[in-house]
Amino acid sequence: MRKSFLLARSNLRKSKGQTAAIFVLMLLAASMLNLWLMLSTDYKQNFDRYHDKLHAEHVTLSVDRHDTEMQNFLIRTLEKKKQTTEFSLTDSMHMVGSFAFHGGEISTELIFLEKQAALSRSVGKIELIKDSNIQSGIYLPILYQSEKNAIGKTIQVSVGSHKIEYTICGFFNSIMAGSHNCSLCEVLLTEDKYRELEQSGYAPASTLCSIRLKEKSKSQSYETQLKNMVSSYDPSVRTISNSYTLVSQSRYISQMICSGIISAMAFFILLIALIVVASNILNYIQENMKNLGTLKAVGYTGSQLIHALLLQFLGISLAASLLGESISYGMFPFLNTMMISQTGIPYRIHFLPFPFFFTLLVSSGVTALVVWLSSRRIKKVEPIVALRQGLLTHNFKKNWISLETTGIPLDLALALKTTFSAMKQNITVCITMLVLSLIVVFSGLMTENVIVDMTPFSNLIVGETADSCINIQTDLEKAFLQKMQSDPRVEKIYLYHSVSVRHVNGVELVATICDDFAKVNNQDVVFEGRFPKFDNEIAIAAKYAKEHDLNIGDEITIAANGMEAAYLISGYTQTSNQLGKDCLLTRAGYMRLGKLSNASYYLNLSDQTDIDIFHEEIKEHFQKAVNTTINVASILEGSASVYVSLMMMIVITVLVLSVIIIAFVLYLLVRTMLRNKKQDYGILKALGFTTKQLILQTAFSFLPAVILSTIVGSAVCSLIINPLTAFFLNSIGIVKCTFRVPADYIILASIILILSAFLLICLFAWKIRKITPRSLLAGE
Amino acid sequence: MKNILLKTSQLSKSFSSGGRLQHVLKNIDLELYEGDFTVIMGASGAGKSTLLYALSGMDTPSLGTIAFKDQIISTLNQDQLAIFRRHHCGFVFQQIYLIDGMSLMDNVLSAGLLVIKDKKILLDRARNLFTAVDLSEETWKKFPAQISGGEAQRAGMVRALINHPEILFADEPTGALNFKTGLDVLNTLTDFNEHGQSIVMVTHDMRSARRGNRILYLKDGIILGECNLGKYIPQDPARHNTLSAFLSEMGW
Repeated sequence: MRKSFLLARSNLRKSKGQTAAIFVLMLLAASMLNLWLMLSTDYKQNFDRYHDKLHAEHVTLSVDRHDTEMQNFLIRTLEKKKQTTEFSLTDSMHMVGSFAFHGGEISTELIFLEKQAALSRSVGKIELIKDSNIQSGIYLPILYQSEKNAIGKTIQVSVGSHKIEYTICGFFNSIMAGSHNCSLCEVLLTEDKYRELEQSGYAPASTLCSIRLKEKSKSQSYETQLKNMVSSYDPSVRTISNSYTLVSQSRYISQMICSGIISAMAFFILLIALIVVASNILNYIQENMKNLGTLKAVGYTGSQLIHALLLQFLGISLAASLLGESISYGMFPFLNTMMISQTGIPYRIHFLPFPFFFTLLVSSGVTALVVWLSSRRIKKVEPIVALRQGLLTHNFKKNWISLETTGIPLDLALALKTTFSAMKQNITVCITMLVLSLIVVFSGLMTENVIVDMTPFSNLIVGETADSCINIQTDLEKAFLQKMQSDPRVEKIYLYHSVSVRHVNGVELVATICDDFAKVNNQDVVFEGRFPKFDNEIAIAAKYAKEHDLNIGDEITIAANGMEAAYLISGYTQTSNQLGKDCLLTRAGYMRLGKLSNASYYLNLSDQTDIDIFHEEIKEHFQKAVNTTINVASILEGSASVYVSLMMMIVITVLVLSVIIIAFVLYLLVRTMLRNKKQDYGILKALGFTTKQLILQTAFSFLPAVILSTIVGSAVCSLIINPLTAFFLNSIGIVKCTFRVPADYIILASIILILSAFLLICLFAWKIRKITPRSLLAGE
Repeated sequence: MKNILLKTSQLSKSFSSGGRLQHVLKNIDLELYEGDFTVIMGASGAGKSTLLYALSGMDTPSLGTIAFKDQIISTLNQDQLAIFRRHHCGFVFQQIYLIDGMSLMDNVLSAGLLVIKDKKILLDRARNLFTAVDLSEETWKKFPAQISGGEAQRAGMVRALINHPEILFADEPTGALNFKTGLDVLNTLTDFNEHGQSIVMVTHDMRSARRGNRILYLKDGIILGECNLGKYIPQDPARHNTLSAFLSEMGW
């Protein structure tokens, strides 16, 4: 063991540069691995911890009726259900509302609760995170705290079509209703403000039911059954609900995206690090064949020599992993801040033993395996053969690019000779460049579809987008449509109204009703089959269809308002809004289940139109018939900003990491080449080759692998990036991704990648200038 | 009157070793002539190879000047020296130093293509030189590791001569060879010299030194003495005696 240790120490001393480069790659891999494990284990479990801490509900239901009869019905129903363990009913008000956030607007189903009543709830407790002495005003979920939304500042909240100004008193955490991603979002009002709102009649009184279940896995079916029962009891009552299953996923979309990307990065960096380790060992054996022979001749066994390499690389791996893990703890607060801006759930960073030790185990385990696999040939080295210095290491099968016959210029021909005789180097370069091409294509995809123009991302995540949404009572619908059609500012108007329906033998689905789906802006919502055209057709979420083995052409029965109707599946839809639990119906189709009492219309307005002024005019004209107006463009901007900044951070990080990886891998390869070919460079210099020629030859020798793998990588990755993205987003209901693949960006980035690689090789090969023919001096 | 090919003035070379400056060449004034077969002799560590590499522009002197014909080469930078070498010098090394990954022909052509742009002319010259050193077509397609030391050294000579060098530098060319192959190499060098090729050879082997017409003896970094042997005549006892006497005088 001591002998192996001494050998390992000697090897480390001789290869400081390579050790440093492998160290950095292992460090990056370990920090990514640890980050991923932290995000996908404890960070995700944080939801459950808070859920337990706040004794949160598994199903939330807001019923827009607040009378004894309904409350008694709810109590009876809840008590009867076997899954119910505990519940609480709280007086509240419910209305679609919006407020400013992140330079845009957040629009969601707002549940107004009186502060004290909310704080004293037995189920679905609320935790005040920031409070003040302000006696009159509003408390918002902690997610919406920002520079503009701070304690003491005023916030304008749209309640239906009315605007009310409140002073912000503080912020709270509600696990099941603390974000616009929860389907419903609680806000607390001080008693005076609650009474004021109650008296204004802007938001109907409602009952908020918070129910805890025996098994949280049953939350979705429980939610559907409960809504059905309420709907059967009072078909006209409006309800809004959520479940543990939905909220635990929807509040963690950014975590899922981030976690997916980091896991991919961790895997790729680890792969590259291991390839570099393997190539390093193979080169070590080749370079040190004579030394290995000498060591064997003086009595070292093959196992001792392998142990020395194991000690050397395990030492690097362990040290790099420990430092990498420490760095990941340093990066985590930054990532946490980004995550919280979407989850809205505070997370306290603490030491996590499982990710820590698992990362150490994986990084050192795979390193040991790779070292063992690539150093096994040492056992076969015979001292005599090894002492003859490398007869086994050269391949004399073919004289690549014969200078006698080739027409290629000399420097290029010599470079190509090196290329063809260095297959290990080519494989390492190819794998590295393929991974980097994937990163480049991914960053291009995200830049094009999220950062530069968010429409494709919005279309995928939100489904349909327009400039404005106006909800109007159906009795004035005709007059409203006439007015809109005569308004020159309105470019397009179409019904796009969402209601809850239930798949008989299934769960609740959000049905979007449209009078003519040909009018909708996002024609990609249905990605297979077609939109429903007739009253007996339905398009259904692909994820849901897959889970329930439903195919296009199958018949399914949908229930709502106490009625049932059968529909033929005409196509598959995908949006992440309802996590894959949605469907599309024509208006005539929905009429088979009941009538609409109000209808939401989506409008495309001319570019010059001020949407808010337009809404004010509509409200003035139609008065109380207008239930809500939503500035969709502004809302998208508000909710999108979180994703844009998250994606920007991810893109910048992966690009910076790519540069670091390519730099270190190329450094290692060039350094190895310079060591292997030091004598050749000396001979060539003696013959009259200049330093510049030799640097260019070195750089050119890498280029075929760099160019080929970048082109193939970019082309293949461009083809697979959409399916790959869909695969990662599958859990949020995305089955087919149709992001625009920016060919111009990818071509430009690939050229930059190739040029960067070329320049980096030239930079690393600059060391050739120090190689002099004098090193060939014999004897003296 | 012979033409001067290389001329040194106050040529000195020092190396730093263990923090101490070691003077390997000390103020050497020397002229080398066109058509000569100059042999530099001396004990191990005398500075023979250092002088050879300084003269050939492989290394730069610490002090003094070196002129090749009318061109001062001691002030050239590394790349300028490389270009100088490719046009004017040929090298034969003790360790041969062929590039392992290239066939013998490619080893030769990699040097030739630096200077001779007409590939047909170059190939003809390479083939002629290979034939002249008695290497068959089958051999010149082989890799260095597949041939004998003598064949490798003869291929090394082809490479050294491919660009019509005005001067051929040979550093212990027979040092790594057995008697028979060493003799072949010496015969080849002599043959080229007889055809007008200027040669500067470093050796500590008397048998090799006898091939030269001018012998320089180096000791402790200075040229201690020189001896003119005249045109090489094989099996000439007088030549041997003259050289022996000279070397004896030098303390060999």
